[in-house]
Amino acid sequence: MIGGMAAPVLDLIDIRKSYGRTEALAGVSLTVQPGELFGLLGPNGAGKTTLLAILAGLSEPTAGAVKLFGDAFDPRARAARKLIGLATQDLAIYPELSARENLRFFGELYGLGRADLRSRIDEMLGAVSLKDRADQLAGTFSGGMKRRLNLAVALVHRPRLLLLDEPTTGVDPQSRNHIFERVQALNAEGLTVIYTSHYMEEVQALCPRIGILDHGRVIACDSRESLLNRLDTALTLTMAEPTSAWLASARQLPGARSVEWSHGNLQVASPEAAALLPKLLAHGAAPSAIDVKAPTLESVFLSLTGRALRD
Amino acid sequence: MPAFTIALKDLRLLLRDPRSAVILLLMPLVLILVLGLSLGDAFGRKPDDQLQISVVVEDIGLPETLVIRPPVKEKPAGAVLGSMSFAAPMQRKHPPTKRWVDVLLDDLKDTGNIKIEVIPSRAEAEQLVKRGKRSAVIVFEPEFSDRVDRCSFVGSEFRPNPINPLDRYGVVTQEVGVTVLDNPYQPIGGSVVKQVTQVSLMRVIVPWMIGQAFDLIGTPLFMKKMEGYIPGFSFLPTEMRASIGLGIRKGIGGFFGNYDFTALTWYGLTKDIPPDVKAANAAAYTPPPTGLGRGAKKYQILVPSYTVTFAFFLVLTVGWLFVAERRHGTMVRLRAAPITRGQILLGKLLPCFAVSAIQGFTLLLFGKLIFGMSFGAEPWLIIPVVLSTSFAAVGLAMFVAGLARTETQVAVYGTLLVLVLAGLSGSMMPRELMPEWMRSFSYVTPHAWALDAYEQLLHPESPAIDFATVGTSCGVLCGFGLGFSLLAWWWMNLE
Repeated sequence: MIGGMAAPVLDLIDIRKSYGRTEALAGVSLTVQPGELFGLLGPNGAGKTTLLAILAGLSEPTAGAVKLFGDAFDPRARAARKLIGLATQDLAIYPELSARENLRFFGELYGLGRADLRSRIDEMLGAVSLKDRADQLAGTFSGGMKRRLNLAVALVHRPRLLLLDEPTTGVDPQSRNHIFERVQALNAEGLTVIYTSHYMEEVQALCPRIGILDHGRVIACDSRESLLNRLDTALTLTMAEPTSAWLASARQLPGARSVEWSHGNLQVASPEAAALLPKLLAHGAAPSAIDVKAPTLESVFLSLTGRALRD
Repeated sequence: MPAFTIALKDLRLLLRDPRSAVILLLMPLVLILVLGLSLGDAFGRKPDDQLQISVVVEDIGLPETLVIRPPVKEKPAGAVLGSMSFAAPMQRKHPPTKRWVDVLLDDLKDTGNIKIEVIPSRAEAEQLVKRGKRSAVIVFEPEFSDRVDRCSFVGSEFRPNPINPLDRYGVVTQEVGVTVLDNPYQPIGGSVVKQVTQVSLMRVIVPWMIGQAFDLIGTPLFMKKMEGYIPGFSFLPTEMRASIGLGIRKGIGGFFGNYDFTALTWYGLTKDIPPDVKAANAAAYTPPPTGLGRGAKKYQILVPSYTVTFAFFLVLTVGWLFVAERRHGTMVRLRAAPITRGQILLGKLLPCFAVSAIQGFTLLLFGKLIFGMSFGAEPWLIIPVVLSTSFAAVGLAMFVAGLARTETQVAVYGTLLVLVLAGLSGSMMPRELMPEWMRSFSYVTPHAWALDAYEQLLHPESPAIDFATVGTSCGVLCGFGLGFSLLAWWWMNLE
């Protein structure tokens, strides 16, 4: 029996997955609550796709437990599979079938009734803006249109948990924005989404809560703000070189973590840069230019691992 | 039913893939067409089918005026020899009730395993020989009956215009109005035809000549001739001479008791049972095929052979179907869907089976419509053979699809496997051409069993269908299908 909505949608307890001697997942524990748009960030090879494969029932963990809506996830249970929608990193549509035929096929596989399926197909085609291309072969679509159809196929059976694996790979900016908007709209309607990507900008923009995966381990899992607040904002003020006394007094300002003169600029680090800047100006700083660098997930990952996300 | 959903989808994909149509339908038809045009009419005929004597009959027979009465001028009363009255006019047993050519053709028809084909005209026969379609044709010229009728051991004092047709080789054909049209490039076939004709001519002409000669013994003309050889014979009274004549005939007849010299026929001469002329040995003449040569025997072999061979080319189509499913990433989605592995495999198997069955029936139907192939006496039995062959082909195709991971692997391994199996099975060449051990070995392939069944069913001249062979073949093919499917089930990795 599938648990009620009050239980976490997903509860991963020490999931491990090994391929021979290679350990793809080395003890992943995560919880995703109903209605969340959860970002799973990590470099290529971190184990994101392996984890999604386990969540989609495509692969079984070597150890650990997966709970779906409060119950142990049995990949062989049809009812459990119907709760999940999967949009894979690689496109998973038939190019020789039209958009409508693709949706009909997968809808039928998930057991949708004929009348319901018909209306659902129209609804999905409208949602991904493919209504006018509904009866054209998917193979004739642009990359972005194929991605949108791929998303529609994952949604056609009304899943309660949507797994998106790098859903914007190889798409144009317009289609990317379309996908973002669609994902946000679905989440706003109450759908729980797990969004994996190695594009930190996407995850940062979309996901209020984020888990960072590296070498098969969750190295951080928190709200976006908490993750970003782990690092200071960097202020760079272009100005005349201050005296040592001025620097010493500036370092005493509330919220100033460090104040240094370097390469002809004043370098300031602060967890509350917005509040510190007026204080610096009031303290006598007269910059000709100000550069503010807020922390990003990239810099968070760098601080956590000592290497860049895309290394 | 998810399996049917997958099956319908795959069927749609197959129908939209022009490669499938080309490989499964167009290629075999083109091959059959090309081979049909390239191979001679002899292809597909068994060796004994070719022992055929082709003749042209121009013989006009004997006019009534030529009917020869026995040269008896005197009529000795009461003289009786056996069942034949010497005084009675001797009745001919052959002409004019039959033309001599008909007597000869009956004799040929009676010869075992020889078929007589009557070609309508000499001109057509000449063309057939010239084009190598017949190694030799025997022409019975218009005066054949007249010339045979005149064949005699005795000279012109006993019968008008006698002909002695015999020499050291047998019958001199030109003497009796027989011409042999032969192709110098087919000397063996021509020699066989000539020898067979010689034997029949001897069997017809020699008893006729003996009978006529024997009839003369004891006749006044004969006794008159004896006067020159027996001193004082001329002084004997006529009645005595007649009695002596009859005695000589009786004596010779008794001395050679195993023969009836008056019989005029070979069976009569040898005192054998009259032959039952085998009308079945008369083959209807069919003009040489032009163009496709519809209905030629070669298509009875080519069409089923290539139908079976190309049924197994399904390996390529099914392999590509699986590879495409992986390449498009849709295999992952299928595995994530609420369906079982068995439903996925069944969903793949069903459309392939349907395509294979459609291919089989279509090729055989084309074989009938385009190439004039016969469906034999029990056409409905073709259905289980096509279906069981399809099952075997689909099983093998699923197994290969489970092994191959890329389109190249499917193309290379699939084509190699299909061609090797076709070569081993005898579906690329008649099994009659294979050595005995290879024929036995061919039964390791499903093709050979299918061909066995088709051989039983599609032969229009087959005396009776061996239902046991057809049933066994279908059973073995289903066994192959089941075995391959189980291997595919065990081996198939959908990841």
